[in-house]
Amino acid sequence: MYHGTTWYNWYKVDALEVIIDINDPEPPFAQLMTQIKQAVQTGAVKPGDPLPSIRQLANDLDLNNKTVAKAYRLLERDSVIESRGYRGTFVHADAAKNSEVDLGEWVTEELAKLVSRFRNAGMTDPEIRNAFANVMNDRTR
Amino acid sequence: MNYSEALFYLVFAGQIALLSVYFPARISARMRCMLEKFPPSEYPKMYPLPEYRYHMGEVVYRWVNHCITALGLVILFCIAFVVDHSTFADDGFISEAWPAAYAMVQFVPILALEISGMSQYRKMREAATLKRAELTPRKLTELVPAWLLVVAVVAFGFAVFLDFFANNYVMEWDKTLAFAFGNLFMTAVAAWSVFGRKQDPHQAAADRARASSAVLHSMAYVSIAMSLFYMSTALDQMFNLDSFDAVLMSLYFLAIGWLSVGTMLRSVRIEDLNLEVYKPHSDVS
Repeated sequence: MYHGTTWYNWYKVDALEVIIDINDPEPPFAQLMTQIKQAVQTGAVKPGDPLPSIRQLANDLDLNNKTVAKAYRLLERDSVIESRGYRGTFVHADAAKNSEVDLGEWVTEELAKLVSRFRNAGMTDPEIRNAFANVMNDRTR
Repeated sequence: MNYSEALFYLVFAGQIALLSVYFPARISARMRCMLEKFPPSEYPKMYPLPEYRYHMGEVVYRWVNHCITALGLVILFCIAFVVDHSTFADDGFISEAWPAAYAMVQFVPILALEISGMSQYRKMREAATLKRAELTPRKLTELVPAWLLVVAVVAFGFAVFLDFFANNYVMEWDKTLAFAFGNLFMTAVAAWSVFGRKQDPHQAAADRARASSAVLHSMAYVSIAMSLFYMSTALDQMFNLDSFDAVLMSLYFLAIGWLSVGTMLRSVRIEDLNLEVYKPHSDVS
């Protein structure tokens, strides 16, 4: 919708912004994911709200398109956002619930339990690492 | 001196006054105002170059425009008293090449300012460690009314048709393609301002939107002015108005200047800008 008041003083924006710190040890895609999830949890963005395109966000943040695409892909995997083809990217209907789930943290917790069991069974750490590397490298499993 | 010549002198004097006196004076005043009210000591992020370069730039810009004004007055004097117009292939009328060539010179300082601005933005981007972006998609129709874009497209279509009609249904491809290319260029500039890279890393979202909107409006107005000029060349052919060629050309550049530089100056006002983002301890470094 055109926000016209006079013919030249058109635009009033109260836009929500994301800020990326390139000196932060956390990679930019993770910072972006965290801030979008925070925006969902605080209600700053609501289910069904449109999000900027990958190109727009990458241009504005002076990041590579692939970095923003990675953040969007992971958020889509977590069902925080959803892509609707040419219509763009939107906040998922269950985004608030799904943004509380941190898959990275969950994987770390599960792995910690497994490693503890292996150690209790008498396996050494190099053996566990080798076994883990073999499993990760074997894409047929 | 006949009626069309008198009209040309008036319009050409207007071209000199607007593009080389009035707008440069406003731009210079704006530069000085920025440096006085928002000095580099308080707003360091706005000035990637040493302070003296900005003062020097303003002085050079002002004096270059004084020289261009003087050149314009010399041209005006020569056209009126020195040049024998019958030596040109324009049936003794004042050639439209005079205002066109002079307008090219008049736009050089503006172009130089743009290029210098882009190089400063590059320095600002390199220095910024925090980058920010709005989390809402930008849409063309939020920045410019759809009817204005429709009018620009329709005006171009009508101009092509009128030219086709004036030439007894023969297409003058070189002219049509030149105007089409001009419109294409303006579309690219407009698209780049909306969807392209954020030039100033510190710029607030509202200011970015306001600047993009100003560019879109100015490009749409210039496109319409170009189409009107295109129509006038067709009417010129239909009614043999060769004596008004120079007047029309001068009017055309007057309109282009008013609609491009004028729109930007009217739209992006200092008092509307959020300059807090350029302070040392704002959240964007």
